[in-house]
Amino acid sequence: MNVAVTVDAREDSPAWLAYGTPVFTVLAALAVSAIALVVLDVNPVAAYRTMFVETLVTEFGISETLTKAIPLILTGLAVYLPLKAGLFNIGAEGQLVAGALAGTWIGLNVSLPGLALVPLMFVAAAVAGGIWAGIPAYLRAKWDVNEIITSLLLTFVALEIQSYLLRGPMQGGAGNFPQSDRFSEAATIPELFGGVHAGLLAAVCMVIATYVLMTKTRLGFEITFVGSNDEAAQQAGMSKFYVYLLVFVVGGAFAAMGGISEIAGAQGRYRAGFEPGYGFTAIPIALLGRNSAFKVMLAGLFFAVLFVGGSSMEVAFGVPAALVEIIQALVILFLITAEFFKSYRVGIDLKRGPAETPAQPQRGDD
Amino acid sequence: MVSFIAGLLDATVQAATVLLLAGMGELISERAGVLNLGVEGMMLVGALGGFITTVVTGSHWLGFGVGILLGMVLALVHAFLCITLKSNQVISGVMLTLLGTGLTTFFGSGWVEESISGFPQMTFPLVGQYLVGIPVIGEAFFRSTATDYLALGLLVVVWYFLYHSNLGLEMIAVGEDPEMADTMGVSVFRLRYLAVLIGGGFAGAAGAHLSLAFSQLWVPGMTAGRGWIAVALVIFAQWRPRRMLVGAYLFGLLDALRIRSQSISLTLGPDAPLAGVINPMVEFLMTPQIMGTYPYLATIIVLAYAVIRTKSDQLAVPSALLQSYSRETD
Repeated sequence: MNVAVTVDAREDSPAWLAYGTPVFTVLAALAVSAIALVVLDVNPVAAYRTMFVETLVTEFGISETLTKAIPLILTGLAVYLPLKAGLFNIGAEGQLVAGALAGTWIGLNVSLPGLALVPLMFVAAAVAGGIWAGIPAYLRAKWDVNEIITSLLLTFVALEIQSYLLRGPMQGGAGNFPQSDRFSEAATIPELFGGVHAGLLAAVCMVIATYVLMTKTRLGFEITFVGSNDEAAQQAGMSKFYVYLLVFVVGGAFAAMGGISEIAGAQGRYRAGFEPGYGFTAIPIALLGRNSAFKVMLAGLFFAVLFVGGSSMEVAFGVPAALVEIIQALVILFLITAEFFKSYRVGIDLKRGPAETPAQPQRGDD
Repeated sequence: MVSFIAGLLDATVQAATVLLLAGMGELISERAGVLNLGVEGMMLVGALGGFITTVVTGSHWLGFGVGILLGMVLALVHAFLCITLKSNQVISGVMLTLLGTGLTTFFGSGWVEESISGFPQMTFPLVGQYLVGIPVIGEAFFRSTATDYLALGLLVVVWYFLYHSNLGLEMIAVGEDPEMADTMGVSVFRLRYLAVLIGGGFAGAAGAHLSLAFSQLWVPGMTAGRGWIAVALVIFAQWRPRRMLVGAYLFGLLDALRIRSQSISLTLGPDAPLAGVINPMVEFLMTPQIMGTYPYLATIIVLAYAVIRTKSDQLAVPSALLQSYSRETD
């Protein structure tokens, strides 16, 4: 008996796969993570009930989720936009930190009425985040230096600078903690409704702007074109240099806005470790929502539910919130597994005796 | 002063071992064409697995072995996703780091209080007892843990393997031009699997060394970014084992200096010319956190310089890095 596994590229993937994949991957990740819960002697059904149902039915849960979603959506866009041009920004975390630091500095040192100060903080953050993202973008656009490596390494540079500033020049408040002074009333982002700050408006506006940019403008078309075939795009007269620089710098500005809105809206001061790596969660968000800016928003909301639900689960069951990291990672690992089955058809032939066409390469044992 | 330098060297050797072990694994994996950004996660899994095994069995060598094994298990996932399923290597790697961090924080929180008797300090076998008396460098190089010596020994093995063994040369070929290698009868898939698994084993060993020899305790997230520095180190070394030895000691020295930077004074006297400008600048550059950026900045500069200065066909980066390979079937 001979088992031959054949793998053929699909011409086009069936519709049910396109819609079913994200749902399936999330369910699969939850199912596997349940094993970790069982090992710690926690009933997974009860834990997931706390995690999802209670987060989505209580007013507190919803308000927390929307607040957490703001930086997640914005950093998600920061990865999504370069991805459209075929670039990988895995340094959204660094751009978020750079922007948050610049915005915080303005918020603490400039005195203006709130209507002018908060927008100025956003602009300062966006500029800093744009510059931080501009370094890998320029190196890539001009000399073809791999942007994945440089944007990643610059993240750790930003984190060290954050630690330096919060223990040195920007350190404030009582005690010797790595944190800044509290923001004044004017530097705080006002509440929108029910405990959700107005940063939500910024996030939604950026989602709409990105959607319009990508679907309704010539520039969006150029970005997609460069992303799918940069050589053809250049022959058609488009500037790869300009597109690369633009998507990265705008992406960096998005991430930075996510950082400053979290600090000036939800935290009230800059604390070291104020965020659990939103810039890295942005990668799964952008991948799940890679087809449209609105799907990025949905994915951002989903991960916000995970974060909020994870901490309520930690409180209720004494389970480390690190389970959220496990679920996040598994969602994406299953997603990229599913990608394969979306683009290839796998067939298994059971044959008796030797294979009829021994020349055909067998892929099963690769 | 002499004791300060001796202490500094000792700390350098210790810090360099972790980077060497993780870096060698990354080097082999990348040479075969697979970028592994999961090192940090694999190190954490190795550190916790090795620690728990040592607590339970009392044998640090068994713990070290389990650490290596667990690093390989996580690497197997990476290999399956990137080689068999042709997934994006960056995504898979970053997610494996996240998975490793999550798993070890989740399951490791109960082991923080435990203590072990890990790898003891020992003099280098045979000749160490005579050489350890050499002033300044003796203690640093000839009284270390067994894993420190092992790392240096393995570097020689890796260098010989890559440049002087058929398997190693085939691996390099697979990373440079998988199609050509395939035509010559080299199994691209098998060699890439092997390279990624070896890489994971090294990362697991680096983690186990960290928890069993370096600090002899377990704390969630104890790798503290060393996995990322190892990724940087491979680029800094331009994918060459010998340069990696230099790079590991350089980054290790930076790490050792950084902890001691408060006790070093490099300021000029108040009357020296430009003292008012230079002193604050030196002080700033010697801040521990600012020193923490140097390995990353140095790597970015080396990478950019190499790419800009070298014609792309002379560049040391494996040509097929990040590219999955699929055979044309028709």
